[in-house]
Amino acid sequence: MHADLVGLGLAVLVAGLVARLARRVGLPSVPCYMLVGILLGPGTPGPAVIAHPEDLGLLAALGLVLLLFHLGVEFPLEQVLGGGRRLFIAAGCYIGLNVGAGFLFGLALGWGGAEALVVAGALGVSSSAIVTKLLVELHRLTNAETPVILGIIVIEDLFLAFYLALLSPVLSDADSPLALVGEVAVSFGFLALLFAVARFGARAVAWLVGDREDELLIVLTVGLAVLVAGVSEEVGVSDAIGALMIGLVISRTRLKERLERLVLPLRDVLATVFFVAFGLSIEVGEMGAVVVPVLIAVLVTLVGNVAAGIVAARLFGFNQRGAANIGLTVLGRGEFSLILATLALGAGLDARIGPFVALYVLVLAVVSPVLAARSHRLARVMPDRLLRANWTYVREETISTSCTHLDRIRVTGTDTAVCEECVRLGTPWVQLRLCVTCGHVACCDDSPHRHARVHAEAAGHPIIQSAQPGEDWRFCFVDDTLVRAPMGSPRG
Amino acid sequence: MGQGVHVQELPGMGKRYDIELGRSDQRISVVVRAGGMRDLYVFDDRSSEPAAVIELSDEEARKVGAVLSSTYFEG
Repeated sequence: MHADLVGLGLAVLVAGLVARLARRVGLPSVPCYMLVGILLGPGTPGPAVIAHPEDLGLLAALGLVLLLFHLGVEFPLEQVLGGGRRLFIAAGCYIGLNVGAGFLFGLALGWGGAEALVVAGALGVSSSAIVTKLLVELHRLTNAETPVILGIIVIEDLFLAFYLALLSPVLSDADSPLALVGEVAVSFGFLALLFAVARFGARAVAWLVGDREDELLIVLTVGLAVLVAGVSEEVGVSDAIGALMIGLVISRTRLKERLERLVLPLRDVLATVFFVAFGLSIEVGEMGAVVVPVLIAVLVTLVGNVAAGIVAARLFGFNQRGAANIGLTVLGRGEFSLILATLALGAGLDARIGPFVALYVLVLAVVSPVLAARSHRLARVMPDRLLRANWTYVREETISTSCTHLDRIRVTGTDTAVCEECVRLGTPWVQLRLCVTCGHVACCDDSPHRHARVHAEAAGHPIIQSAQPGEDWRFCFVDDTLVRAPMGSPRG
Repeated sequence: MGQGVHVQELPGMGKRYDIELGRSDQRISVVVRAGGMRDLYVFDDRSSEPAAVIELSDEEARKVGAVLSSTYFEG
């Protein structure tokens, strides 16, 4: 079949121009590409620039493969594993709340079980691209909650790998429960195989595709990525997961940085084709029927996000502003929702999923930047008892510190005016420090015995506060940094 | 890294460097993104909102850095 170059060029050019306009007012680009597809496609009244969307099929598939491959390549595995248990709990709560609510909502729609699973993923997994752009544009990169937000979206990416592995056998239309279990086993077996390659075979893969010349490196790598994606599709695991996993394998090699840079422009162009092609498949007339479900879904997502934001803020000791920022920033939905919808439509599930996810992504694309920029209003009305019960907070104050132990602050004042250990030993001290976790008062680092540091290490209480009159600065021994917030103090 | 510079990982994005200037009314944070972009955050007085945020490309950042470290020569 002969792909129409005029139509393709026009569609991509218009998509780029619309996205450029949208960037000026702070709107994300992924939904714009899709919108252009919808408007230029055969399903919308007016001139159809691309009359036969299926002509773009192969290019769009390549876009999806590169999208997930690049996600795998840039995956910061070490940083996530080093992020600590609390980050996993926070991300687990986020995913659990949002995917869980999405699944219940999907069941309530009554479109079917497999459809509910797709809706759960589309509602539950946020768009890394949109969230990252928002953080940069809202000048929140140095906020205390930002590492947590980034950690959550990265763990979501990892979750996506497992979710795709679970989803592909469900979508494959197995006729008996036993066959389904078999296919889930094959799917996860394939996942385990690729994990093993990532763990033990990274050197071999690097030898296969590695080359000093950028030209050969990118040719070999794209060839391998597309081949693995295709083989995955053949064995009944989706191409998406194959691409993601081979990307993860590459991320374990020394080629990671170079390929991140080389794949990026290729991905940007072909992913745009993928988003446009998704839009082309949408009949604008069908959107009317899904307006009410979409609005409810947006509401469900909003509630799920804010709840998850509060949980994360409790875990990390953030104030209302932190909670609101987490909940309202991770709200953006984009590429992953569209990928899941594409997989569902490809598997012949209920066709309403297409317009439903399209409209849902469009609504959130407009709503999420607006709400994220106004998070202080939500912070203002959030009651203290949702966070730490014994704190009063400066609710709208941005917490800007890199210390992650704010949740250990319990005591912020003392009447003790001596270092008791020094009194017992009969030694002098220079200044006094208060342990904000238990209220222990001891001498500072300029004193001979450094009892405050000794206490912090022995008791595992990270943060001290100056107990000198008129001083209120705090210092975290673990993070080795001054702690600036929250400006709250315990009641009573 | 030298004393007074605190490094914080930003998963998937890059690294954040908090530079202690030894005074309470001013401080600087630099975010180095994976793609090479730098975000320079300047805070003054006790406010937690940055007083200025400057986005620099790799090349621009080098230029500013060279001037700051007195390794830039005119002519």
